[in-house]
Amino acid sequence: MADATVQGSHLSKSFGERRVIDDLSFEVAPGEVIGLLGKNGAGKTTLLELMLGFTPPTSGTVSVFGHPSQRLPGPVKSRVGFVPQQDELLDQLTVADQLRVIESFYAHWDAELIERLCREWNVNTAARIKNLSVGERQKLSILLAFGQRPHLLVLDEPVASLDPLARRQFLEQLVEISADGERAVIFSSHIVSDIERLANRIWILKNGRLDWQGDLDSLKDSIVRLHIRGAAEAVAGVEVPGAISLRREAGFATAVVRGWKPELQHSLRAVHAVTVEVESLGLEEIFLELHR
Amino acid sequence: MFVLKPQSGIPIYRQLLDQVRRMVASGQLAPGAELPSVRELAIQHAVNPMTVSKAYSLLEAEGLLERNRGRPMTVANRPKNATQLSRRLQQIQPLVEQTVLAAKQLELSEADLLKAIRENWEE
Repeated sequence: MADATVQGSHLSKSFGERRVIDDLSFEVAPGEVIGLLGKNGAGKTTLLELMLGFTPPTSGTVSVFGHPSQRLPGPVKSRVGFVPQQDELLDQLTVADQLRVIESFYAHWDAELIERLCREWNVNTAARIKNLSVGERQKLSILLAFGQRPHLLVLDEPVASLDPLARRQFLEQLVEISADGERAVIFSSHIVSDIERLANRIWILKNGRLDWQGDLDSLKDSIVRLHIRGAAEAVAGVEVPGAISLRREAGFATAVVRGWKPELQHSLRAVHAVTVEVESLGLEEIFLELHR
Repeated sequence: MFVLKPQSGIPIYRQLLDQVRRMVASGQLAPGAELPSVRELAIQHAVNPMTVSKAYSLLEAEGLLERNRGRPMTVANRPKNATQLSRRLQQIQPLVEQTVLAAKQLELSEADLLKAIRENWEE
């Protein structure tokens, strides 16, 4: 498709014997905010690096704005912003110098935005980078990526060292950036509640594969916890289609179901003569349930 | 104006739908009242703008909200009673289900429950 921001097709990556990314196909459209979730070592950073062309795929293809990630022309690269897990700041520079260096690479640098954010985020532009705290370095890395007003913004654990206030300011700015519907954001984070606010699509990476790739809303609708009550023998006989876990006690059972449809509530009731209460789950609980 | 809880299992757009519907049904949001823009609401709550616009579009399709060129969305102009009984009942249905379930767990009879509701109603 011509206007896909990122497109991957049967993308795989192995390091020696270890297959870290396993046959992934995906598409990112303008306006989407994708939350990338996965346990440590699930392959999140590798996937982001493949997209950005930092490492070649073992097989399959990945492209950004229609160009193979490995060979992005300069003008395309300048539309991509990246906040790496390990920052790439130059210790000997001051914050102001570092901003100027990066600004000089871009024709469309938004100096006004950066000036405002430095003020609002309490970034001391006179400070030398080697004297910054981890959180301050992270803020600066984010500013460097925001300044170019990227059409694709990739963030790898951008907020791990930010305090709650700074995280909220960052999220608000991210909303502003994505509000015009023309930019795509992909961000990985272990702070599930941030992803839950910001993302409209969720990718759950598990053993190198996308265990879920779709709307956050449909994810919440399709994975629920059921509380089933009734006579002991009725509950003992209940079979729950799509259950990924099922715990029974006398007269009571709890099940987590994948692929839930509201009609199932009535059919379970009717078939087994039990009461069924449906509990919606937050993203964090869904993530935990998918990794049991 | 709205209470949005991203961590709840209920999708954000649905929280917004329910609240607007309730506020319109109760008259808290009168016909012609302006809603915050998608951008305002998204930034204020730090939630995804597409989630907010999805809720607004669904409410527009329901005829509850009206889109105005270059101006904020407004509550559609129509008599309050036009909110059909069936729709209003539909909105309270989840609460009814929950109450009935709790009553059964407490081994209350239908009559006990109806009596309790009636007493509350008359208060």
